[in-house]
Amino acid sequence: MMEKEVEVEVEHKQKKVVVPGDLVTEGRKKLGQNVFTENGKVYSEALGIAYPNSDLASVVAFSGRYIPKRGDLLVGIVTRQTVRGYLADINSIYNSYFADDEVRERLERGSVISAKVSEVNEVNEASLFDIRVFYGGEIISVSPAKVPRIVGKNGSMLSVLKEGTGCNLLVGRNGWVWVKDGDAKKLVAAIRLIEAESHLDNLTVKVEEFLKGKKVK
Amino acid sequence: MPKKDEKIEYVKGGKRLDGRKVDELRPIKMEVGVLPRADGSAYIEWGQNKIIAGVMGPREALPKHTQNPYKARVSYTYRMATFSVPDRKNPRPARREIEISKVSGEALERAIFLERFPNTTIDVFVEILDSNAGTRVAALVAASLALADAGLPMRDLVSAVGVGKAGGEIILDLNKDEEDAPDAVDIPLAILPRTEEIVLLQMDGLLTKAEWAKSLKLGIEGCKQIHEMQRQALRKKFAEAEAKR
Repeated sequence: MMEKEVEVEVEHKQKKVVVPGDLVTEGRKKLGQNVFTENGKVYSEALGIAYPNSDLASVVAFSGRYIPKRGDLLVGIVTRQTVRGYLADINSIYNSYFADDEVRERLERGSVISAKVSEVNEVNEASLFDIRVFYGGEIISVSPAKVPRIVGKNGSMLSVLKEGTGCNLLVGRNGWVWVKDGDAKKLVAAIRLIEAESHLDNLTVKVEEFLKGKKVK
Repeated sequence: MPKKDEKIEYVKGGKRLDGRKVDELRPIKMEVGVLPRADGSAYIEWGQNKIIAGVMGPREALPKHTQNPYKARVSYTYRMATFSVPDRKNPRPARREIEISKVSGEALERAIFLERFPNTTIDVFVEILDSNAGTRVAALVAASLALADAGLPMRDLVSAVGVGKAGGEIILDLNKDEEDAPDAVDIPLAILPRTEEIVLLQMDGLLTKAEWAKSLKLGIEGCKQIHEMQRQALRKKFAEAEAKR
């Protein structure tokens, strides 16, 4: 599979659940995601986890709508054929257009594709390229904020999931996971476990045990 | 209802009709993430008030002429259920509901980073299931929790409380009996607790300058209490998952 996720998690022991408007740090630090500054202090703008000891002042959000970024890998569903191309639902604010010469065959409404984001304009509309068509299988919907945990560091969680369930899967950055073959039910259960405990440590180990069928508390 | 010439003591020996102190809130229960189909949701029980709030979006604002290419639009819908008051409430949005929707939406606009989502709308729906004074502030508190649950970037939560006067005393969080007092003054107040910026303030009735100063101080303190409860409600879900481990 063609996973190229950038790991955004910061590795630091101390964690703090913050809500919008909570103080993240008073010190001068590099600003990461989901924070803003006011009067020289750094505050959280989302419900999530902050790492007080980190050099980077950032918050890992618990939820949020997917906003496309350049280079993201997505799973999409074709919704409509338009002039010389298609519109695909990418679980974001707008549908995205791609030209029909990107694909060899004729697509229909409901066709599953994967794509990369080539460009995002100032109103968050994405243009797609590198379209691939997928046949069969099903799509599992997850919160886009949890996608980095489902992939794991350098794809560690992903390989655990693939091994444990025998599924053929592709995780889109937009929170849609395409699955084919293998034990899909088990995979859904594992993904729900990751979603519920995404803010806790040692998740890969726990999911591994879960997939092996060992009793998980 | 008291008779016309009957005099009720609204505060007697430091205690109010329902046994609360002058600066005491009604019992409040908040819950976040109650509606799986919405992007964010919250439920609040504030005394006898029962309110559910749901957030959808940001999503494309339609019809297109309502879009603003510089920022998102907040459309706030305050609605009272037909069974939320003693007599049947006509389900058609009335003057009062339309006005509350407008001012509450504007209060939330101040808290959200709207410029990140041009041409979109953030739809907030609050449904009053049961009411007993102070529903607009309770609805605003629930709506702000739902927004945080939806993961929208916000400067701060919005905390709100009612404050006012009944029987000549300045009191926090009036209930319906107190609001019906002959000299009643009711002030719904919403702030961004971190900066104490006032985002909603309405008043009906008359106050002296000294009474007003006292009310505002009491109201802001009340909002801070509410803010702490909101923080706990948001963090609860994650604390639970951690405790299970």
